[in-house]
Amino acid sequence: MRLHPFRLLEPESLPEAIETLGRLDGESRLVAGGTALVAMIRLGLVKPDRLVALHRVPGLNRIRVDGGSLELGAMATHADIERSRTVRDGWPLLAEAVHRVATPAIRTSGTIGGNLAYAEAASDPAPALLCLNAEARVLGPGGERAVPLARFFRGFYEAALEPGEIVTAVRVPPPPAGARGGYVKFTSRSAEDKPLVGVAALVVLDGAGRCVEARIGLGGSAPTPVRADRAERALRGEALTDAAARAAAEAAAGEADPLSDLMGSADYRREMIRVWARRLLIALRDGTALRDGTR
Amino acid sequence: MSLSFTLNGQPCATQAPDHWTVLDLLRDGLGLMGTKYGCGEGVCGTCTVLADGQPIRACLVLAAHVRGRVLVTVEGLERDGRLDPIQTAFAERGAAQCGYCTPGMMLAAKAFLLENPSPSEHEVREALSGNLCRCTGYTKIVEAVLAVAGSK
Repeated sequence: MRLHPFRLLEPESLPEAIETLGRLDGESRLVAGGTALVAMIRLGLVKPDRLVALHRVPGLNRIRVDGGSLELGAMATHADIERSRTVRDGWPLLAEAVHRVATPAIRTSGTIGGNLAYAEAASDPAPALLCLNAEARVLGPGGERAVPLARFFRGFYEAALEPGEIVTAVRVPPPPAGARGGYVKFTSRSAEDKPLVGVAALVVLDGAGRCVEARIGLGGSAPTPVRADRAERALRGEALTDAAARAAAEAAAGEADPLSDLMGSADYRREMIRVWARRLLIALRDGTALRDGTR
Repeated sequence: MSLSFTLNGQPCATQAPDHWTVLDLLRDGLGLMGTKYGCGEGVCGTCTVLADGQPIRACLVLAAHVRGRVLVTVEGLERDGRLDPIQTAFAERGAAQCGYCTPGMMLAAKAFLLENPSPSEHEVREALSGNLCRCTGYTKIVEAVLAVAGSK
């Protein structure tokens, strides 16, 4: 079965890509790895008559450290990121989360920029990047701007991108000293599915076991990936006891605003946030491994 | 658009419409029918081929993306009339029932073994998690992959 026909434009630099996007009328779309967009075209959800592909822009898949922060080019694939020694050593939470995206043959094509711009609520990397206080670098006709990820997801499958803008990179500051991070996904249909809920957490404990820092990111738990602010506030300054983990997970479930769909009901999602946020916090405290869950 | 790349060890220069995927290019442009169309959405894995040694979904990757890359399909596993060890293992273990998933399964396994030559059973299952066998013949498939790993 063929895709609905489109013309493919392949700019070879970012200025050319911006210029190309700016002069197109009709329905045009930007394509990175294509793992989301091509499937959407196949399903008839979108029918663009032009695609602007970024794969010929040199250097857009670079992974490097700049001024202590990790800079991921937007075209870096999940496989590039999960295999990067730099990421594994300095940003293990991110390496862990991108490793959970779909399946190996999707991770070799799907990109970090595409994942964020798609603004999927059940993104695996997004909750981790939210916990890491990452920001998106966005280039458009008016120049470049940085958008903190906490403000990047505007609504259901909607990123804070204006027409003609491109995500060029994701910048991730170094995690705080002594940070322990983890990501766990719970799937309701099959292990390689997108998460029913995904929970990322980053905590820093002092000598007495108190949370000096606590960050929790949720996927599949609201129309967009979100931070669980109330749960984080409940933890900060508290000893990370079983009761504190339970209370924080309760708060996360309470502040979540999940959807009901074929994967599971809103109530079930809330219940799974409660279960998996608690298990993750306890696993981080105890330094134990936590396997992903499948119903 | 014009495309040139390496296909199963040979240089290949060809033309394709802009909206073709790698799968369209292989089957309809080049007549290589070993790569199968399954779901068309990147979920079932039966269209898996290797690009620069890494597994990709031929149904999701645009043909334009293969320019300059090294592609291997199931037709390219055999070398000089000799089956690849993964093919031999699949044949000897009976790791195929209807056979529709087999090309994608073998290529996914091949790429995985290049990266991890002595995996655990769990790792094999995880590596093949994106390749569905609707006959549900997973046990022998996993055995075949482990047999190749063990024979090295």
